[in-house]
Amino acid sequence: MSDEKFRLKLEFVENSFVKVDRMRYEKNKTSSNLAILAIVFNALFFVSIYKSDVGTWYYSILIGISIVYNLLFMMIVFLISEGSKNYKINYSYIAIVVGALQFVRLFIYPRLAHGATTQSTGEVVQVMLGAQFVRCIIYLIVSGVCLIASAIIGIKKCKALEKHLKAIDGLV
Amino acid sequence: MAKLTLSHIDKIYDNKVQAVYDFNMEVEDGEFIVLVGPSGCGKSTTLRMIAGLEDITNGKLILDGQDITAAPPKDRDMAMVFQNYALYGHMTVYENMAFSLTLRKEDPNLIHKKVLAAADILDLSSQLNKKPSQLSGGQRQRVAMGRSIVRNPKLFLFDEPLSNLDAKLRSSTRREILLLHKRLGATMLYVTHDQTEALTLADRIVCMSMGRVQQIGTPLELYDTPANLFVASFIGLPPMNFFTVLVSGDELISPFFTIYMSPEQKQLLSEYQGKHVTLGVRPENVEEGGVVPLVVGTNENLGMNTLVHGHFAEGNPESRITCKFKGWCDYKKGDVVKVTFNKMHFFDKETGNRIVKA
Repeated sequence: MSDEKFRLKLEFVENSFVKVDRMRYEKNKTSSNLAILAIVFNALFFVSIYKSDVGTWYYSILIGISIVYNLLFMMIVFLISEGSKNYKINYSYIAIVVGALQFVRLFIYPRLAHGATTQSTGEVVQVMLGAQFVRCIIYLIVSGVCLIASAIIGIKKCKALEKHLKAIDGLV
Repeated sequence: MAKLTLSHIDKIYDNKVQAVYDFNMEVEDGEFIVLVGPSGCGKSTTLRMIAGLEDITNGKLILDGQDITAAPPKDRDMAMVFQNYALYGHMTVYENMAFSLTLRKEDPNLIHKKVLAAADILDLSSQLNKKPSQLSGGQRQRVAMGRSIVRNPKLFLFDEPLSNLDAKLRSSTRREILLLHKRLGATMLYVTHDQTEALTLADRIVCMSMGRVQQIGTPLELYDTPANLFVASFIGLPPMNFFTVLVSGDELISPFFTIYMSPEQKQLLSEYQGKHVTLGVRPENVEEGGVVPLVVGTNENLGMNTLVHGHFAEGNPESRITCKFKGWCDYKKGDVVKVTFNKMHFFDKETGNRIVKA
């Protein structure tokens, strides 16, 4: 191996070490911010889904569950954001579950509302029109993707940091 | 590393109050300069003008040959450590130290290396994940210094950094600053009103009063050959004793004592024959055993030394004197001790300036 190649390799190893070592003092902002972004998109979904001109179609137990779940979601994901910021791997595992649930939710309200019709001012109307449906779907998908990405990054970083700390412990 | 020149610097505020008069100084590369003086003498204003936090009314400020008189603070490549630390409470020690470099968008890996190196120098490695509120005053001040070190500035400015610390911590942090200066070899300007800090830290001291520079010199020069009555009274603890004496032949005659002059002193005061001068004697230069009788007022034992406050004539405030005798003394109020002055300073009665050989 030439001197230059060896120097570059050494530099790469050193930089990789420093990159991981930085995690000892820097917060996992990427995971944390992605989780916050998931809350934002969920909120957008939440404010986009209901309509007042479709009669009593939404008046069911489902609306109550939906509201409570959205509140719980925001609280849990905020905790996930704080936990993953401090490299707590369990919060990342929870993020995967909550993220997956966002995809499940696609088949509850948006799909049900999109397929349903109701009587409004004597006419039969579709509860959720195409544009609103697409918007809701996108918000939910992005929210779910953000959470899963947050979780994957969090788990990766937590494991790297754990390994690094063990290595450092061995050195000192 | 930097060479700083202050040339005819004045500071006049909008309300026409002049805080600094004609400040001239050259700071050499790697020098530790301490600006000392009582509160309101213009030392902090001078430092703030150097940092760019105050406008310079007249004069020029030159750093490494470049005129920075009107340059904004961010372009001066100086780092300032404040009395109140000025740390971000919501950030950890690491984040506080890395903050200025992050703002400059430096490579995060490089920032990390610099912060760890600075933390190592300041013995803060184990505190990096803590918030400032979890640290002691001394540690917080070290963080503030660390924040300056990581920037590797041309000039370090310290504005009374130890004033918020208790006596013990002040002493240890002072030592750390001195070690830091030796280790970094950086040019540092330090403002304090504490003469102990000035004498122990400085390569050169700038003594200021009422906005004017009274004397610039090494600590020993200021202690041994004060330029005027102000410097003589400000430097030294307890302060110098002053008496008005008449120069008459071989004698210095005061209402309370008469002292014979050495040939050197006689020559020094040859132009003052028949005139009054101010005689200055440091408490540590008054020794037991001599011809001048002193009546003891109070006796303060300090262990290694004893401070004796007394007078030559009862009820006359001008005859008061403080002596610093070696060892442990047990004088009682009213005891008479005969003393001698083993080193004297002479000042012109009119100007207050030190009398020097023509």
